[in-house]
Amino acid sequence: MSINLELSAAGTRESRLGSITGYNGDLKELVQQSHCGTLIDRQRCFSQSSTCCSGCALAQLSGIRDVAIVNHAPSGCTATAAGVDVLNAQLAVKRGVSNSTVYVGTDMNEKDTVFGAVGDLKDIVLETYRRYQPKAIFIGTSCVSGIIGEDVDSIVEELREEIPVPVAAVHCEGFKTRIWASGFDASDHAVLTSLVKPPKKKRNIINFKNFFESAREEIIELFANFGVEPLFLYQNSTVEELAGLSEALATVCICGTLGTYLGNGLEEKYGVPYVRTINPLGVTGFETWLREIGKVIGKEPEIEEYIVKERAEYMPKIEKIKQELQGLRAVLGMGPGYTFEVSRVLQELGIKVVWAAAWHYDQKYDNGEVPPALDYLLKHSPDNFKLSVADQQNYEILNILNTYKPDIYFSRHPGTTIWAIKQGIPSLCVNDEYMIFGYKGTLDFAQSVLDTIRNRSFEKNLAARTKLPYTDWWYQQENAALLKENT
Amino acid sequence: MGHCIENPRSSCALGGALALISSINRTIPVLHAGPGCGLQVTAGQLGQSGGKSYGYVGGQGTPSTNMFEREVVFGGVERLRETIDGTLEIMDGDLFFVLTGCTADIIGDDVKSVIDEFKAKGVSIAHAETAGFKGDSYYGYNTAFQAIVSQLVEVTPRDAKMVNLFGIVPAQDIFWEGNFEEIIRILNKLGLKVNSFCKEQQGLQEIKKSSGAALNIMLSPWLGQEFLAEYKEKYGVGTFRYPGLPVGPTATSDFIRKLAEYMDLDKALVEKVIAEEENYVYSYLEKIIGSFTRYRFVIVGDANTVLGLTRFLVNDFGRIPLAAVITEDVPPEYRDGIVDELTHLEYARPPKVVFESDKWKISEWIRTYKDDAALILGSDYEKEIGNELDIVTVVVSFPTTEKLIINRGYAGYRGCLTFIEDLYDNN
Repeated sequence: MSINLELSAAGTRESRLGSITGYNGDLKELVQQSHCGTLIDRQRCFSQSSTCCSGCALAQLSGIRDVAIVNHAPSGCTATAAGVDVLNAQLAVKRGVSNSTVYVGTDMNEKDTVFGAVGDLKDIVLETYRRYQPKAIFIGTSCVSGIIGEDVDSIVEELREEIPVPVAAVHCEGFKTRIWASGFDASDHAVLTSLVKPPKKKRNIINFKNFFESAREEIIELFANFGVEPLFLYQNSTVEELAGLSEALATVCICGTLGTYLGNGLEEKYGVPYVRTINPLGVTGFETWLREIGKVIGKEPEIEEYIVKERAEYMPKIEKIKQELQGLRAVLGMGPGYTFEVSRVLQELGIKVVWAAAWHYDQKYDNGEVPPALDYLLKHSPDNFKLSVADQQNYEILNILNTYKPDIYFSRHPGTTIWAIKQGIPSLCVNDEYMIFGYKGTLDFAQSVLDTIRNRSFEKNLAARTKLPYTDWWYQQENAALLKENT
Repeated sequence: MGHCIENPRSSCALGGALALISSINRTIPVLHAGPGCGLQVTAGQLGQSGGKSYGYVGGQGTPSTNMFEREVVFGGVERLRETIDGTLEIMDGDLFFVLTGCTADIIGDDVKSVIDEFKAKGVSIAHAETAGFKGDSYYGYNTAFQAIVSQLVEVTPRDAKMVNLFGIVPAQDIFWEGNFEEIIRILNKLGLKVNSFCKEQQGLQEIKKSSGAALNIMLSPWLGQEFLAEYKEKYGVGTFRYPGLPVGPTATSDFIRKLAEYMDLDKALVEKVIAEEENYVYSYLEKIIGSFTRYRFVIVGDANTVLGLTRFLVNDFGRIPLAAVITEDVPPEYRDGIVDELTHLEYARPPKVVFESDKWKISEWIRTYKDDAALILGSDYEKEIGNELDIVTVVVSFPTTEKLIINRGYAGYRGCLTFIEDLYDNN
């Protein structure tokens, strides 16, 4: 088992899950090599700026209500704090709750890089507690604090003696991992080690790991059919709710990349079953996921009854719109928790996947198994499509789009969507994690695909007037030209 | 450190430098920095400055060495060389600009010698040390311009009608594009050619020939001391410094008349431009007289915004300033000048001026005016205290993620009308 809650850090995905950011090949090869353990990460001799794990780790924790994040870093690493404030306020209003979480930086300067600054860090944490009385404090580390060797763990030990609320270090130095999703694990590790308490009793709750709980009402209603309640994590969660994660009937997630550490950690430590099916996107995904939940909570007949009822309403509509999508060609570029799930949904809708790019790839999840979406595709994909792993290397994506000229590009990050549009490719950003959730989501998604390809005015007009920053030489190369050979 | 920066009001040196370099046409930034720096400083700088992204290149998509453990331990010079080689093949640009982040500067990579290798091969390339721990976005702006003047400007014959325009900091001034456009419009109307470097597709050519300008115009009470000194020393270009943005008819006309003292401008043309522009503004101001109330306000923001808007609200619009909070780290020697400027306007009592960036302290400060203030001008951060105290709060300074700002601006004659529209926007 790869999770060790006795340590202060979760460790990187490279070391825990054999995760990689450099690959170019096809579906069959990738899955087979994952099973045999022969998959090797390839480096690039040219790279574009990607993302670091700190952003993922601290963004997750800053959604928890009424806590404090203290980022032990230079100011630039904390500069997105205003966005966090606004997002928290808006999402709290949407829920009808309040969120007083604060996001503080220690503003490390040149002197600190020479003399260290753990003393100041401690003062700032104490001052933050004095000002706001947060219900928990998470201290983030950074490239600078890591390189100069700040002993944050010792400071946390001292602070625990002085502050009556949970205090945790979140080890998320950006240089330590190429996989920014390691930051999700760092946040889960902090929650598991500092907030979650042993269960006193079982409750009718299902932990639902997601990003922004946008389908909250819909899922509350769905789960009510089976007599259970969802607890959405971490946006708008309270410290008290998180203390009780161990008392849930099960843990589910909307994205395997996001859920693996918490789900497996809760199962290993407290025996809370983690539902590890393909994700609830598209019809097959939704039904598979729901049936597994039914098995875990002992409500299989109710689930079957629900599926029959919903199918009657939605399947004729989905079948009808599928007729219009047949034969469309698509390229995808997403995090791996979505790339392979959305590829499956596209195939379900009759769309041909010509290239799928994942921003990283986990050879296995924390239970030691290859992600279920890959095994599913290996069995069911009508063809062995081309596939690459690249940490948002935009130049590779634009090269792929130029070579394959798909009808549509699917992304999950607005940053890459823009560039495809500038190159004239209609693009749909699957930004909302619930965009393809369940029968209704699948139908809406199919309609959105049609809307995207039928009105290409913006793409056409913008591309005609935009000069892209890449050379003609680059567009004539293979997209893998700058990946180094395996060594 | 030693003090708490709750919710910083700028990105870091790298963020400020990247925003500037990316706004220079066909200039390709190359980051020698950690993997997340491009995203962090883009989200932290542009993302919170009216929600735009980069145009040609910048942010994610910027060439970057993405320094990981190997580079931290063994040094990143080889990786930088490899990344520049790749950049020259893949990216189409006139100028390549290496910006270093915290990791590179702590481990002490010898970036200059790598740059020199490429220069020797005839590549247009420059570099600046912009580690985040060295300073904020303003530090990055200054440092990047210092690198431009030291490494790229060339000797050019003098052009008596050409000026260089500085002080509007890209993506730190949330209205930077609109502010640039209005100031450039006014200067053009006075018969001047303007090197803004950031607008009108200006790039390497304008940088090279900026040594031939008749004058540097610096719209800031404190920025750029060092690089302006180098312009003077190496190329004989002097500087006209105006403290903060000129906003509204009084300040903008004052700006023009003072500029005319530095340059050989046709006096008749100057007065004609001033009359036309003032008439334009007042033809609208007379129509909104029904909205006029003499309320009291508190303002929070960078020196340029605070000076510009306070002068306009007071000298043109009859408002009463209670307090002004300057949020950037202004060097101590410039602070008295700013206080002096703000406390010598047309009022019965001058505002209290403080220099502070901590959100909590600023909020506590605003709280002391809760019975007097009818308006708070600030950033997204001040919305919180504004809501709590039930005082109307209008966002005028960095950071903001609540609105999309394309080309609106508050500077000059026309900008003050946009500002008034925003004051009365009830959203």
